[in-house]
Amino acid sequence: MNDTTGGERPRIVMTGAGKRYDALQVFCDIDLDVGEREVLAIIGPSGCGKTTLLRCIDGLLALSAGEIRIEGERMVAPREGVAMVFQHFGLFPWKTVFQNVAYGLKLAGCPKAEISARVPKYINLVGLAGFEGYYPYQISGGMQQRCGLARALSVEPRVLLMDEPFGAVDAQTREILQFELLRIWEMRPTTMVFVTHSIDEAVLMGDRVMVLQGRPSRVHEIIAVDLPRPRDRATLAMPRFAALRERVWGALMDDARRAEFEVKR
Amino acid sequence: MSPGARWSRHAPVVVSLLAGAALWELSAHFTTRAFWAPLSETLASLVASARSGVLMRQATSSLGLYLSGLTVAILVGAPFGVLLARVRALRIALENYIMMLYATPMVALIPFILSMMGFGFAPKVLVVFLFAVFPIVYNTVEGARSIRPELIEVARAFRSSEWRLWCDVMIPYTLPFAMTGIRQAIARGLVGMVAAEFFLSPSGLGQMIMMGSQNFDTPGLLAAILLIVVLGVCLMDLGRYLERRFAAWRAYEC
Repeated sequence: MNDTTGGERPRIVMTGAGKRYDALQVFCDIDLDVGEREVLAIIGPSGCGKTTLLRCIDGLLALSAGEIRIEGERMVAPREGVAMVFQHFGLFPWKTVFQNVAYGLKLAGCPKAEISARVPKYINLVGLAGFEGYYPYQISGGMQQRCGLARALSVEPRVLLMDEPFGAVDAQTREILQFELLRIWEMRPTTMVFVTHSIDEAVLMGDRVMVLQGRPSRVHEIIAVDLPRPRDRATLAMPRFAALRERVWGALMDDARRAEFEVKR
Repeated sequence: MSPGARWSRHAPVVVSLLAGAALWELSAHFTTRAFWAPLSETLASLVASARSGVLMRQATSSLGLYLSGLTVAILVGAPFGVLLARVRALRIALENYIMMLYATPMVALIPFILSMMGFGFAPKVLVVFLFAVFPIVYNTVEGARSIRPELIEVARAFRSSEWRLWCDVMIPYTLPFAMTGIRQAIARGLVGMVAAEFFLSPSGLGQMIMMGSQNFDTPGLLAAILLIVVLGVCLMDLGRYLERRFAAWRAYEC
């Protein structure tokens, strides 16, 4: 269960990872490897700590037990080669699309000439050409997240961490962006950890789906998604997609029902 | 906009200003010259002092004092405000003092400043500074505190240094809030300027007011007041313009 798909070298290694805030144990005993070209989808009921886990992987939060290594290096602070896309976009409202996309490169100490060459490339890639000079408040939520994606991609990360990236956009935009992301990933496959609370999204994106459950959260089940790539709209119509969807649904639901009726103390 | 529409929009303003001027002019004929003079005489006095060069000299002196105090207040207040927002312990330690000083009518401190520093230029700058600095500090702290934690997280995720965090995030985010403080400081600094010119060594427009009052030169007195009013209105407009200029994105944030 701990093996990565395709037998490739793992890029992310989690060993006994646990996080506690004072009395609250958020998750514990997470052991998992993520391969070099693997997409791991993490799903679980809200409040299960999937976003917290993602922040621990990035090194934004410190673990309280175990360790997470990326390319052999222990994650205690954000490092080069890892980029994150945020649920609420995290764009700087006083910067234009161009400046927002350039932000990561600027911090990485990229020379000016290279920034002005690379930024338009990624703006084109996410379909924002022509909007370089716009401010975030002038464009739609979907476009803002395209910008957030371009900012993460522009530093050419080897690990892409996605924190419910399409959770704050409407349903139609969400679908469009999912297929956009699949298309972009196909062009340049990297390690991706994708946190979501949508079962469809988890199955569509992931090579494996990790279901977190319980209090504290543990790895309840890891479901291998053996759908062929490249994936597109036709994937959604496959009987295999429906079957996998049911499996994830089953793994999630007993607990979800229990959680819904749990009385808060 | 058609000329008709423009007229109907500006008509109330024009009529109101004309009515005010007429009321000023007429009311002077029913009161004693010891404390009230018609607008025409006030303007004549203004022209006369402008001709003699007195007005220019006094206005320059006042503006020099005002701009010195305000500049120091901005240069100290805004960075200090961001620092307070970023260093939590410092903020908690100083918060009460800042609130106290923000609430204190600064005029109350003038006798104290007088006995400490005497009659020079510096104590007057200090008065303008004290009037102006607290709204800047207060608004900047409140602004910097309200920064969305996500934005700091983004900076950390992209491995920003503390220095870059200030340049890229803290200062641009806080700027519009600091501008609100600066707009208030522009108005309060003007009060500080007149107060300093009254209560410390008399100078500038404040001195003109005092001399007008002592010599029963009511038109001269009113001329100086009128000038300060016009100055205040212009500076407030400048403040509002600056605030809007730097806050384009903020309206869409909250």
